[in-house]
Amino acid sequence: MTHVLTRGAYALPGTSLAFKTGDWRSTEKPLHHHRKAPCHDACPAGEDQQAWLARLQEGNLEGAWLELVKANPLPAITGRVCPHPCETACNRKHMDQPIAIHNVERWLGDEAISRGWQYPVTTPSAEAPKVAVVGAGPGGLSAAYHLVRLGYRATVFEALPEIGGLLRAAIPMTRLPRSIIDAEGERLLALPGLELLLRQKLGRDVSLAELRSEFAAVVLAPGCQKSRPWDVAGAVPQHLHEGLHLLKEWIDHGWLPEARRVVVHGGGNTAVDLCRIMKRNGAEEVHLLTASGLPGPDTDPDDVLNVVPRELEEALEEGIQIHPHVTINRLIMKGSVFTGVEMVSLRKLPGQDGRKRRIPFEGTERLLHCDMVVPSIGEIVDPEGIEEILGQHKYLHPKDDTCELGDHPGVYVLGDARGDRGTVAAAIGDGRMAALTIQRRINGAEPLPPDTREVATFDKLNIEYFDRTERAPLRKLPVAERNDESEIELDLTGPEAAAEARRCMSCGNCLACDNCWTLCPDNAVIKTVEMASDGTHYVFDYDFCKGCGLCSAECPCGFIDMVPEDTVLPAATT
Amino acid sequence: MTDTSNATRLAELRLKHGRPPASPAEPSAPPRDKDLRKSQPRFRGLEAGHRACQGCGEALATRLVMESAGPDVMIANATGCLEVFTTPWPESAWRVPWIHSLFENAAAVAAGMESAMKAKGHRTKVLAFGGDGGTYDIGFQSLSGMLERYHNVLYVCYDNEAYMNTGIQRSSSTPHAASTTTSPSGKARMGKRHLKKDLLSIIAAHHIPYAASASVAYPTDIRRKVRHAMETEGPTFIVIHSPCPLGWGHDGSVTIEVARKAVQCGLFPLVELERGEVCNVMPIRQPQPVSEYLKLQSRFRHLFNDKDPRALEERQHLQALADHNITLFNLRGDQADPMDTAGMDTVRRGGPVH
Ligand SMILES: Cc1cc2nc3c(=O)[nH]c(=O)nc-3n(C[C@H](O)[C@H](O)[C@H](O)COP(=O)(O)OP(=O)(O)OC[C@H]3O[C@@H](n4cnc5c(N)ncnc54)[C@H](O)[C@@H]3O)c2cc1C
Ligand SMILES: Cc1ncc(C[n+]2csc(CCOP(=O)(O)OP(=O)(O)O)c2C)c(N)n1
Ligand code: SF4
Ligand code: SF4
Ligand code: SF4
Repeated sequence: MTHVLTRGAYALPGTSLAFKTGDWRSTEKPLHHHRKAPCHDACPAGEDQQAWLARLQEGNLEGAWLELVKANPLPAITGRVCPHPCETACNRKHMDQPIAIHNVERWLGDEAISRGWQYPVTTPSAEAPKVAVVGAGPGGLSAAYHLVRLGYRATVFEALPEIGGLLRAAIPMTRLPRSIIDAEGERLLALPGLELLLRQKLGRDVSLAELRSEFAAVVLAPGCQKSRPWDVAGAVPQHLHEGLHLLKEWIDHGWLPEARRVVVHGGGNTAVDLCRIMKRNGAEEVHLLTASGLPGPDTDPDDVLNVVPRELEEALEEGIQIHPHVTINRLIMKGSVFTGVEMVSLRKLPGQDGRKRRIPFEGTERLLHCDMVVPSIGEIVDPEGIEEILGQHKYLHPKDDTCELGDHPGVYVLGDARGDRGTVAAAIGDGRMAALTIQRRINGAEPLPPDTREVATFDKLNIEYFDRTERAPLRKLPVAERNDESEIELDLTGPEAAAEARRCMSCGNCLACDNCWTLCPDNAVIKTVEMASDGTHYVFDYDFCKGCGLCSAECPCGFIDMVPEDTVLPAATT
Repeated sequence: MTDTSNATRLAELRLKHGRPPASPAEPSAPPRDKDLRKSQPRFRGLEAGHRACQGCGEALATRLVMESAGPDVMIANATGCLEVFTTPWPESAWRVPWIHSLFENAAAVAAGMESAMKAKGHRTKVLAFGGDGGTYDIGFQSLSGMLERYHNVLYVCYDNEAYMNTGIQRSSSTPHAASTTTSPSGKARMGKRHLKKDLLSIIAAHHIPYAASASVAYPTDIRRKVRHAMETEGPTFIVIHSPCPLGWGHDGSVTIEVARKAVQCGLFPLVELERGEVCNVMPIRQPQPVSEYLKLQSRFRHLFNDKDPRALEERQHLQALADHNITLFNLRGDQADPMDTAGMDTVRRGGPVH
């Protein structure tokens, strides 16, 4: 047979590629858009949890830790003490429960310690500018770490014989074993280009003027060392012990005053930690009187007791009696003997100028018998050595997140000393921001503008592609077995941490799930081995994309936007 | 094969597919093709450049079938959208042997191709593709004959529930109450008067080794079903629910969403039959009300006219049909199942979970 098919009867394979259906796109094209994950957005330390959980999902443990320490050099510490606003923000809460980010962070931090992973830091040159850091609490340590990471040298001045600040001085061992502070602290202090001077107190051993003339910049991270004055209508009981002081005494010397019924007045970590220690050391009744509220649907978030949520839970487990929304009206004395307090209900309400103030309610007065009251209402900056920049203020107020002290170029303030912080993670985040600002200033540039990237909110996700899963279990020592030394919360196992990391939905960033590649009816999504410039393995072939928007609708992570034709990739920001 | 010939063969394969050599002695592959399209880790049986509408469910379903079936296949394609949009003269989007003859005879053509392959001693599997018009209606007798004569052919029906290529005429697969150009909604009727034909039961009556329904919303499930059919000797049949944005009246971006809702409300049950018996179903985790599915599409818009009392009645009718399916196939799982409608399409880093 020598029949030849006529040209109308056949076509060669795949020749449709000659026809570029991309011309059909009428209005919009798909574009990858890396949004900020809510966890990242909420993290005071600036960690990108999505990024390091992604490395864990790949089974790359060290890679995950390296990603984490880009922002936070002390994950085994924050994994234990951070109130984890990341989890509060986590999108997964709308589906089942938030990712147990702090437990995984802690596990990863511990893994780094036991495996001896090292920070990704190169030795700064011998001529690199040198920066003075005052205070070796979490803020100062973080600043020193980030300065070295950016290629500078740092000298840390610490008044005490040991590093750690409040981590060591005040946070109970049951929450933060000292071996962990030692391990992460030593790893950090071993960094090249970092010098630590212990027992060197600003104002006693060295002056601010000296530091300012000898160093390229001065970072102040002295925390708050002075108690706020406390009295009730001008009266104070005899032998008054102030909360933070008592806690430090107990941690240093194991000493606590004897009391059967104790009232602690305040609403922060110190107050709650102290309550628990007093109770464990024999007080029959411990009452916490606080002007704040307990977490609940009716409580305004900024009116809630300022402690790590699980701390509160454990305190209640241990029998601490909490009296929310009250203050002490009067001390009750029998002669010169203190026998109790009169408390009164109050609320923080906006006044005529719109500012909130505390309004006590007449008729709600009641008595509470006790034999000791411990004020724990916060601390302020110790003015010694910094009188000229502190003036009459209680705190040093830098102008914004850059930590620059407005009127004093070259001076940076971070952590508790700012007055608007109060967590370890915030101090660590400040350390990073201060170092970044110093780098920009040394290079003659303006500080980084605030990060205004869009957040990948829950409505951006397509949760059809995620199934419900249980959050990792949190194991705790039973109340009866708790003592002053043993850690109460226990670590995850490796498989538990891995399973928890897999729950992360990769909000706002590519999950490499193949959905777009699988579902594009036009073969217009191409999968690549190499990473494309936007950090994914997928590229759009605009020659063929018809702009249907299906990939965008079915991307589980909210990573594909349909945008006008002439849009280019939003500039990457760190 | 001996160990050495195995090693040589593996080295050849590494070279061919651009994988790194196992040892320095082995030749390394030339630099990878710059055309990324050509180095995709999947079989491209149906290429880009086809003229399907934006968000076409049928184009997607076909591409997915080709990925799992190819490359050693040939196709007989009935007249219809698929045939038209893949072969605009003088081009073709196909990269396998492909024959188009008529609207009504795809199964007969496939039967002939299969017999020819058999006569020549080739193992190439023959596939037949048709739309619902070509399958439920006009091509039905040739399909029935092919099944009865027990040809080793996989027949895939891309069910977009109307004659789409000629402008949305109702077919026996068009669901009850859907409006098409030949079953318009108006004073006389609320869209199509009759019911969607239960084709699978008729197919089942042929006592063939394997028949299944699938949906574009569940690609993993399509892959599994196609592979199973490919491995089965004898006639096999898969019907894939494939939304048509133009004909159903929805945006091309929600094609998957629409298909998913059809499954999750019970109107399009995903089942598998062997020798005519139901052997597996995809359980529905949380049955959705049918109105969630209907309201996405303008072909059902008249069912949401609150002033017309027939609207609610028809909606309730469709709900009753969905509930009937759920009872008939026992689609309601007693507990969460990783392979049910909520678990089947879950993803993780690196791809689908299942
Ligand atoms: C009891 C208690 C429990 C807490 N629990 C938690 C918790 O669970 N989670 C959480 O996130 N936060 C908690 N906090 C708060 C947290 O500890 C602080 O926010 C954090 O330590 C602040 O870090 P920093 O570096 O700013 O200051 P600090 O930790 O106070 O460190 C300041 C350092 O500077 C040194 N220094 C001070 N003045 C000078 C000077 N003139 N010269 C040289 N060195 C000086 C100090 O000796 C100290 O080492 C708790 C606080 C307390 C008191
Ligand atoms: C015998 C015959 N009658 C009518 C036609 C016209 N025709 C071409 S395609 C088509 C509709 C195909 O509908 P369907 O099989 O459902 O496939 P779809 O286009 O919806 O994918 C019709 C009626 C034809 N080609 N041959
Ligand atoms: S799911 Fe993952 S990426 Fe999304 S907010 Fe939670 S931890 Fe962050
Ligand atoms: S699914 Fe394909 S054709 Fe549709 S917008 Fe995405 S890339 Fe373009
Ligand atoms: S669909 Fe999946 S692979 Fe595609 S961009 Fe989104 S997350 Fe990445």
